[in-house]
Amino acid sequence: MNDSRSAPRLEARLKVTGQARYSAETQIPGLLHAALVTAPIARGRVTDIDASRAERLPGFVAIMTHENAAPLARAAAVLHLQGPEVRFAGEPVAVVIARSPIAARRAAAAVDVVYEAEPAATDFDLFLGEAYAPRTAGRTPTDSLRGDPEDALARARVSLDLRYETAANNHHPMEPQSVIADWGPDLLTVYTTTQAVFAHRAAIAGAFGLEVEKVRVVCEYLGGGFGAKGGAWYPGMILGIQLARHVGAPVRLELTRAQMFTLVGRRQETRQHLRLGADGDGRLTAIALDTVAPTSTYAEYADAVATTARMMYACPNVATTHRLVRLNAPQPNPMRAPGEGPGSFALESAMDELAHELQLDPLELRLRNFAVRDQNADLSWSSNGLRECYQVGAEAFGWAGRPLAPGALRDGRRTLGWGMAAVCYPVYSMASAASVALESDGGIVVRCGTQDMGTGTITVLGQLAAAILDVPLARVRVEIGDTLLPEGPYSGGSIATASFTPAVEAAARDLRTRLITLASTDPASSLLGEAQPDLVLEDGHVRSLTGNRSESLAALAGRAAPGGLEAFAQTTPDPDRPVSAFGFGAVFAEVAVDPELGEVRLKRLTAAYAAGRILNPLLARSQYVGGLIGGIGMALHEATVDDKASGRVLGDNLADYLIPVQADMPAFDVHMIHEDDPHLPGGIKGIGMLGTVGTAGAIANAVFHATGVRIRRLPIRIEDCIVQA
Amino acid sequence: MRAFDYLRAQTEGEALAAAGQDGAAFIAGGTDLMPLWKAGVAAPGLLIDIGRLPLAEVTARDGGLVFGATARLADIADHPEVRRRHPAIAQAIEASASGQVRNMATLGGALLQRTRCVYFRSGITPCEKLEPGSGCAAVAGENRLHAIFGGGPSCVATHASDLAVALVALDAQVRLRSLAGERVLPLTALYLPAGESPARETVLVPGEMIVAVEVPDAGGRSLYLKIRDRASFEFAVVSVAVALEVADGRVQSVRLAAGGVGTMPWRLRASEAALTGAEAGEAVFRAAAGLAADGAQPLAHNGFKIELLKRTVLRALVQAGDQT
Amino acid sequence: MTDPSREPRALTLRVNGVDHSLAAEPCATLLDVLRDGLGLTGTKKGCDMGACGACTVLVDDRRINACLTLAAMQEGREIVTIEGLADGEDLHPMQQAFIAHDALQCGYCTPGQILSAVGLLAEGRAVDLAQVAEQMSGNLCRCGAHPNILAAIAEVAGLRA
Repeated sequence: MNDSRSAPRLEARLKVTGQARYSAETQIPGLLHAALVTAPIARGRVTDIDASRAERLPGFVAIMTHENAAPLARAAAVLHLQGPEVRFAGEPVAVVIARSPIAARRAAAAVDVVYEAEPAATDFDLFLGEAYAPRTAGRTPTDSLRGDPEDALARARVSLDLRYETAANNHHPMEPQSVIADWGPDLLTVYTTTQAVFAHRAAIAGAFGLEVEKVRVVCEYLGGGFGAKGGAWYPGMILGIQLARHVGAPVRLELTRAQMFTLVGRRQETRQHLRLGADGDGRLTAIALDTVAPTSTYAEYADAVATTARMMYACPNVATTHRLVRLNAPQPNPMRAPGEGPGSFALESAMDELAHELQLDPLELRLRNFAVRDQNADLSWSSNGLRECYQVGAEAFGWAGRPLAPGALRDGRRTLGWGMAAVCYPVYSMASAASVALESDGGIVVRCGTQDMGTGTITVLGQLAAAILDVPLARVRVEIGDTLLPEGPYSGGSIATASFTPAVEAAARDLRTRLITLASTDPASSLLGEAQPDLVLEDGHVRSLTGNRSESLAALAGRAAPGGLEAFAQTTPDPDRPVSAFGFGAVFAEVAVDPELGEVRLKRLTAAYAAGRILNPLLARSQYVGGLIGGIGMALHEATVDDKASGRVLGDNLADYLIPVQADMPAFDVHMIHEDDPHLPGGIKGIGMLGTVGTAGAIANAVFHATGVRIRRLPIRIEDCIVQA
Repeated sequence: MRAFDYLRAQTEGEALAAAGQDGAAFIAGGTDLMPLWKAGVAAPGLLIDIGRLPLAEVTARDGGLVFGATARLADIADHPEVRRRHPAIAQAIEASASGQVRNMATLGGALLQRTRCVYFRSGITPCEKLEPGSGCAAVAGENRLHAIFGGGPSCVATHASDLAVALVALDAQVRLRSLAGERVLPLTALYLPAGESPARETVLVPGEMIVAVEVPDAGGRSLYLKIRDRASFEFAVVSVAVALEVADGRVQSVRLAAGGVGTMPWRLRASEAALTGAEAGEAVFRAAAGLAADGAQPLAHNGFKIELLKRTVLRALVQAGDQT
Repeated sequence: MTDPSREPRALTLRVNGVDHSLAAEPCATLLDVLRDGLGLTGTKKGCDMGACGACTVLVDDRRINACLTLAAMQEGREIVTIEGLADGEDLHPMQQAFIAHDALQCGYCTPGQILSAVGLLAEGRAVDLAQVAEQMSGNLCRCGAHPNILAAIAEVAGLRA
């Protein structure tokens, strides 16, 4: 990584020394601590809460239940403790506040709650017949139709009728959700784990009937999120703030790992019925995808599972539907490559099945079905580097040497398999503001009310300003994670960088202009009277292109702008972009399967991505690898299992809910293809989700190539792969 | 999350005297007890810290190894005589938990660790271990990882320890002490079948402590083979410990035990009988492995363990055979 | 059944070379005392059940999970947390290698990863990369920094990456 853009993380030193403070670590005098009492039943009502045992315990301060919780001004989100009803197992029914975290947990365990249980819908299979059409699927329409897929399927030379299943997953950022609320006389300050300080501020203001200016939300360091610290955290966060008001003192509520299985969202389980029709050359003539997923009884969410089926491949006849089933279960929400993750598993597996049926190389099949434009949106691509991704990825992986027949590659007792998948994720962006300022000592500070979930936002914010102002990155300070800053974007859905880049670049350019103006007009400047087009910023100086004269930014600031100089910019995406924008990629997997014992071990993952302008290749690679690892978990390990009888999550800990560990890691080889996209502000597409799309499909296809066994249900497990006696 | 008192025992006598109290429990590593306490599944009133008693030695004698009850798992696995005489012990430990946990966990705690049954661990009833008389949710619930041996309508929870499986295969003896005296049992006799009272898992009586485990020397080779979905830091889906001695092409002695399949570490006597005295070779190994699941009682989701167990036994025998 | 009251008790813990006298309840874990009692929040609470490794600290040069032990059990031991690893302004070589290899993203698992890496080297377990990977499997990372973490450790251990 000799690329000068590959700067190490600006905050790395603070993170490796333990000095980076995360939300729950905020030091506040007199802080009290909260612990939840949660329902063990999936549906019913609370008929009695007896806190007398808890009240006698040392450190007990107060208890809040639906009986004494002050009503909130507006239901900005699904809120807890608004009534006696229980809608899912794990729902909070009371909260205890105490002088220490341990005292709170102990007292919570001593609260006696009487429930009246009612029959609960906890078994997805039993309610499939009651599936209904949600209002939307993610950000996309619920259903889609082009051409006549039923007719095309009936006429297809080759047709496949396949059913795939993916498990529910939990996000599990390593940092648990927490909130500390401090109600001051004029300002409510909330330190919380959030992927969007401004959105969370709006939710708080709505719930408590406050002006947004009366609420400050702070999140300086964020220990991951992956979707679980977005809107899914509103109910818990608001509950924590309510507690502080209830007792008139600052309170900290921190979720336990077990509570993170039920209270902060989950990736939906899916059942996908996918039919493909093709001609004898493998050209798709029909795609029909019908997907069903659970949602809760009190809110609605559907992942956009069909996105890739609608646009990934050229096909004249496509129909897709999303349906939901209401269960007494925790509310699902977006998780790392929402929709596209599970959806691409089915589509990319089916493409592999089609290739096998036609005895075609799976990559060749995809090339034959390359979509030259977005047929779903009926728009041309803003840019599309997919074919280059196929080529670069295949070459790096050595795909050309792949035998067509499964089970042909061996390594001792194990058989090897190679599989691949195509990858895409839509480009989203939102409005963002930012400011870039020269400080009186000549340093630069970038301010943007966004968050760094581990993606590198802090660093690239600094790099964007440093590049335009031509100052060393070491002279740039970055402030994020606070609603006192200019309003920045959400961190998630690969949105943040595409959103703040145009704003930061505009502010930095404005500051550059103002510095040049200052340098040419300040009476004491050696550049006084120089023509502004002849002046540039270079290495912390304003310099004349026509001579040797220069002014250091420090000297200029000290003299002419002792209070500093700040430029502000606000940018908004064009709502009527006349093109379709996606990032693309291709992922290639090698697995080793012990066909007698069923163990699957991943050996290699090679991926190539074309996703617009890459700001920092070092950090981008890390993010792609992280996305790929998210895909490994989906493919081979992760499953949130609800007990059908009780509706409770089974194995609600990180020993039983398996996520990939260091020993599971394959060799990674990530290629980033340079791409200039003139249609996108700043040329940014966003990369966070791409790594997770397609990965599970590539791994499942590799397992098929190793064993000859097609596994259509995630995660793939030992019992699926015990094939050879 | 019931509060408990804490006593750091200065002597074994002090520990044993305190252990007679109602609600008393020993702690040394804490790696199993602490999560159970935090989950509200264990609620001791007094924890007696035996971690500083002189019970942590690993001693290699003529004729056998002696492990003190508070010997750390990592120290056992690292001991050169353990690796030389009984590789299965080191392999079982190294396949257990994480590096951190292996540095903390003790032999006694490993033998007494509670099941990983997801119902039990999350405090979900009915569960005979949590609420005697209530029944078992796993029998008709999610039971992929539950037992195919030793279970019944009352309980199908598997024993979770890797090390115990290796020690059972190696005919380990366990030394127990209380104020009333000392007794030595075969490790297999420490464990009680699930039977009528699954809450009672061992023959230990209140106030009684494991003080040592003794493993007799044996000829041949031993190994431990663990099958799991994740490459590390996961409990066994199925595991097998084998100690095999071959001379003149014949099986002189063989001992087999399996993990992940039984309510206790499970000796595979039928396979052992088929092997003893037979010609060592793949055909015989395969036939013996075919008997490994005799008597298994699969549930709705764990039937695959029958075939997986047979294959794991076969693989373990082949590998052990290759080494002898 | 009443829950017995257990008064806080005087306790001395030696952390990063300094003796700290404090009062803690008998059931306080080392993790809770480090974070909430001593303000040493570099030791992270990820799962509080010994399954994630975020709370890894060194006790007498060996890695342990601070959430699985009682503070009272660690009296008289040498405890090292992430705050005590650097020599003043000079970072420990493992900290430097983590920065150079971008072996962190959100940073929440990072202190535990670093102490686990330092511990496994001290324990003599960095035999080869496969061993290091196995030994580091008790430290979960959800962002997916694993290959960079392995590369950082390999560099410090002198193993070929």
